[in-house]
Amino acid sequence: MATEMLGFTFEVGAASAWLIWILPFVAALIIPGIGKFSKHATGYVAVGFALMSALSAASLLPMALEAHEVHDQISWIHSISLKAGVLADPLSVIMANVVGWISFLIMIYSTGYMKGDKSITRFWFWMMFFIGSMQLIVLSDNLLQVFFGWEGVGLASYALISFWYRDKKKDHVGTEGRTVLGLLDYYSPTHAGMKAFIMTKVGDVMMIAGMLLIFLFAGTFGFRELLHDATWATTMSSQGLLVPAFILLFGGAVGKSAQFPLNEWLLEAMTGPTAVSALIHAATMVKAGVFLVMRLAPLVFALSAAGILADQFFEIILLVGATTALLLGLQGMVNSEIKKVLAYSTGSQIGYMMMVLGIAGLSQQFVNGYTAGFFHLISHAMFKASLFMAAGSLLHVVGSRFMTDMGGLRKNMKKTYAFMWAAGLGLMGAPFITTGFWSKDSIFGAIYTSGHPWAIPIFAIAVLTAVITAFYTTRMLGLVFFGSKSKHIQKMEEEGHHIHEAPLSMWVPYGILAVLTIAIGLIGLSFEGGLHELFTNYLEGTFGIHSVHEIENSILPGFLDGINPVALIASLSAFAVGTGLGYVFYIGRWADPVKFVNSNIFFSGIHKVILNRFYLNAIVYWCFVVAPLWLSRGVFRYFEKTAIEYGMNDGVQKAVGWSARVIQGTQTGVTQSYLFVFGAGLLFVVLILLI
Amino acid sequence: MLEISSTPLVIIAILGTVGVLLPIISIARKEKGSNSFYAVIAFSALIVSIGYVAYQFISDKILPSALFSEDVLVDDAFGGFFAIAMLIVAIFTTVGSFNYMRKKNYPAVYYSLILLSTIGMVLIAYSTDLVMLFVAWELMSIPTYVLVGFMKKNPSSNEAALKYFLFGALSSAIIVYGISLSYGLTGSTNIGEVIHGYATLDSSLLPLALLSVGMFIAGFGFKMGLVPFHQWLPDTYEGSPPTITTLLSAGTKKAGFAATIRIIVLGMVVLNLDWTLALGVIAVMTMTIGNIAAIMQKNLARMLAYSSIAHAGYILIGLAVAPFSHLGLQGSLYQILNHAVMKGAAFIAVTGIVTTLAVTNIDKLKGLGRRMPITSLGLVISLFALAGVPPLAGFWSKIMLFGGALDAGSTIWWAPWLAIAGVLNSALSLAYYGWLTRKMYFEGETEKRVSEPKSIIAIMIFSIIFLVGFGVYPDPIIKFVQFAAPTLSLGIMP
Repeated sequence: MATEMLGFTFEVGAASAWLIWILPFVAALIIPGIGKFSKHATGYVAVGFALMSALSAASLLPMALEAHEVHDQISWIHSISLKAGVLADPLSVIMANVVGWISFLIMIYSTGYMKGDKSITRFWFWMMFFIGSMQLIVLSDNLLQVFFGWEGVGLASYALISFWYRDKKKDHVGTEGRTVLGLLDYYSPTHAGMKAFIMTKVGDVMMIAGMLLIFLFAGTFGFRELLHDATWATTMSSQGLLVPAFILLFGGAVGKSAQFPLNEWLLEAMTGPTAVSALIHAATMVKAGVFLVMRLAPLVFALSAAGILADQFFEIILLVGATTALLLGLQGMVNSEIKKVLAYSTGSQIGYMMMVLGIAGLSQQFVNGYTAGFFHLISHAMFKASLFMAAGSLLHVVGSRFMTDMGGLRKNMKKTYAFMWAAGLGLMGAPFITTGFWSKDSIFGAIYTSGHPWAIPIFAIAVLTAVITAFYTTRMLGLVFFGSKSKHIQKMEEEGHHIHEAPLSMWVPYGILAVLTIAIGLIGLSFEGGLHELFTNYLEGTFGIHSVHEIENSILPGFLDGINPVALIASLSAFAVGTGLGYVFYIGRWADPVKFVNSNIFFSGIHKVILNRFYLNAIVYWCFVVAPLWLSRGVFRYFEKTAIEYGMNDGVQKAVGWSARVIQGTQTGVTQSYLFVFGAGLLFVVLILLI
Repeated sequence: MLEISSTPLVIIAILGTVGVLLPIISIARKEKGSNSFYAVIAFSALIVSIGYVAYQFISDKILPSALFSEDVLVDDAFGGFFAIAMLIVAIFTTVGSFNYMRKKNYPAVYYSLILLSTIGMVLIAYSTDLVMLFVAWELMSIPTYVLVGFMKKNPSSNEAALKYFLFGALSSAIIVYGISLSYGLTGSTNIGEVIHGYATLDSSLLPLALLSVGMFIAGFGFKMGLVPFHQWLPDTYEGSPPTITTLLSAGTKKAGFAATIRIIVLGMVVLNLDWTLALGVIAVMTMTIGNIAAIMQKNLARMLAYSSIAHAGYILIGLAVAPFSHLGLQGSLYQILNHAVMKGAAFIAVTGIVTTLAVTNIDKLKGLGRRMPITSLGLVISLFALAGVPPLAGFWSKIMLFGGALDAGSTIWWAPWLAIAGVLNSALSLAYYGWLTRKMYFEGETEKRVSEPKSIIAIMIFSIIFLVGFGVYPDPIIKFVQFAAPTLSLGIMP
């Protein structure tokens, strides 16, 4: 009876795991049909299906919290014994819940934000497709299926970033007319969509190469199969291919998560509707890369425990993460578009997650870094979704993407003001009351105690980035809500526009997330503790990674049990310094930042370099867009143009007296040269054969 | 001896009879128009033929791929596989012509020539004798020379036909020269015996034998559109009626591959393996030049023509690594079948666009997604399938091809580079496919929907179902390919 019961519960678990990703796709399928009858109804369908998907995810939580897992497979392509499956373990279930619930809130927000858009059906279709693809990545039990979701996410992001495909001026990003190294720093939505698609494609190509390499040796794509029989890793390692294969896979994550050097697409992705930005940054897309690393890292670590070393893999993750965190954080300090500041911030925070996942693999205590990375992913998802949606409200009300066009809004938009503060405090890492503080602190702790030779420099970068984060968040809040109203707003008010709060359907979703940031923050330490315990069991049970017993010698008061004092002091002072500087310039406005920057050539030079994105974007464009176009034109001109010029395109079609021309053209002109090439080709082939 | 009910003979009987009868009927009826009458007859003949091949497969009457045979033809799975691919293309062409040929002259001759050319294509895949193969080759080619120039008042159609014919004649001559060389060296035209003769050839005669292989590569390479034998191809594809372009690109091109596999790949294993490197080099040149040139094209047919060149390069990867990995030939066959449907659908979509809107310039295709939604959807799906985006059918065949190249890497050092070149080229090709998609869906504002030809819609829907369906569930096709692909290893001797 018990086994039957067990069998039954198992079935239910598997069914809901499948439903989590199938439901959004079903919604995407039926939405175009429904849109034919009622555009209004599509929104309800989308929200309803998002809720059902999130509920399916929630139904798996009790099982996951016990560190059980559901693994269900069906035959997919029998002839090469490929299976499709879902793998609901603690990692994927918690991730599915984060994705599911935040997407659900964003969908509610979208009903308000996208109200009245003519192409609303297309919007809902791609949003559901986006969520479905992301959940497919999360719940897949093998790399190939992940890749399918991966491409789905790429496609959906392409369609949504260029959603406003008419390329109106207000939908562009960047400042019109500004150039960097001779290239315009001003992008249209369709351009931005293409850019995101192609840049992430670079990562995708690396990923599929890595995948196939592993498949070649292991004969399977399955995560669990790869874990259970590790002979493939031994073989690959002996041929020196193991680390390259994993690094190629990580290349996919670099692309999707917008890490250095594939980070530049993320900024232009701001051309999409703000709801899309929120989805990309908090729940889908950029989190996909982190998730992939979280899927792979324990596997790699377990291998290294078995004597197959792959330290370079973690070192690369660490370096890429640290570089991105600092580089994008710095750029966040100078930008004047509110969504771009948030975008830089996302890249930088994802860099944190990568950094700590890298350090996890290099330290003895894998679980510390792993938990810290995942905890930061959760808290970042909450406050960043909230901040983006609130920024969307501001854009909605003010009608401009520049923070310099805002200012003094705290009286007009009281709710948004309060919620942005709450979520913003999370991003700054306000001590003891926000999730951001605890997760950042655990990252610091994990880095500091890792015992790796690079720990101290990396720790310094992490703390510096925290200072920067606190500074730019304060700057953003200060520019938007404090000071006097900008000319733009004064003009709007003169014209009779009333600056008012966003509608209910919009502020409730980001309100909920802002409150959650504080609420979970208040119990942050025990939340982290629970997560830590869960992952300790998970890593031990599934991967055989044992945690090292830690010696307690805390000098801190009881309620801070388990916190590293150095990390604590670092995060407190980072918050204080960053926020303090921000306060001086942007809230108290005791000093004028513009004057300060222009006060000497050194500051203004640095400012310019950062504002020009360290010239990285321009260099990428010169090398990979402008130069290949030249090359293509060259090949065209010297290799094919001769044929076309004499050939039919212009010469013959427009000619009068066609027959004479045709015969002339074909007999005396180009055909001979064609035949010559043909003959030369024959010679070439024979020569190759005879060599 | 072949049985009278064997597949090639039955196909000759059905298509040959109908093909010859069509012009006679039209003379007897003494009328010019009435395109759909002949189209329906041709269509039914093709359906009956494909039905017969399928029936032979289902009732297990077809042998697994035989490499060689005493006879001039062999009724094996390899031939059957190509027969199905060719007949699908012929059906696409015929159905696509329903609208295109309306109010044009001589429909009976037109369909008759399509049927005769189809017989040629099918027979090439079944041939096991060089002379038979050459006869089939000419039977396939000659009707297409006429078809390319069918719009006789259109200068570009004439020019296309002339160029195509000149090159066709040259390549036929080269093939015959290759055949005569091999006959002189071995005293036989049966492929099996030629191979056997080559295996025991005196080493002083080896350069001559290699010369004959070079002749075959060049002669067949013309039809396959391999660089540097490709220059006629864009002009011809652009100038000929778009339906015929479908036949050329998706059909006769594949016949070239069938012949190459029969002779070069199956046959020349014994000679020495230098030809694999030659094929590898040509493969990389072909796909790279095809893709790079495609980026700059402003004409849809021309862009697809270059993409077609590039695809010949992908298929060639499989042939180049065939002796070292069983995945190679399977991948090639798979890609051939997929390409027949993908490129067939794309060119039929062009036919639809030309018949309704009379434009092929890409800049004028703005907002096509609104004007012709189903045709556009079919076109976009086939383009993405061509690029190998999952989960469409093209993804699996590319995976198989590149997997084969990686697999062969354990024997020959340069094979993985073919896979790398293939992956890079696929990424490159997305640039122009994406650009075209952007034109069709993200540009233009005010276009109104126009009515799309029903026959085109039917083909689009079939292709969408094929490409998406077998993309999500490729199992049946993979099994079919595994059955049809000859197993080839260095140990095989006739």
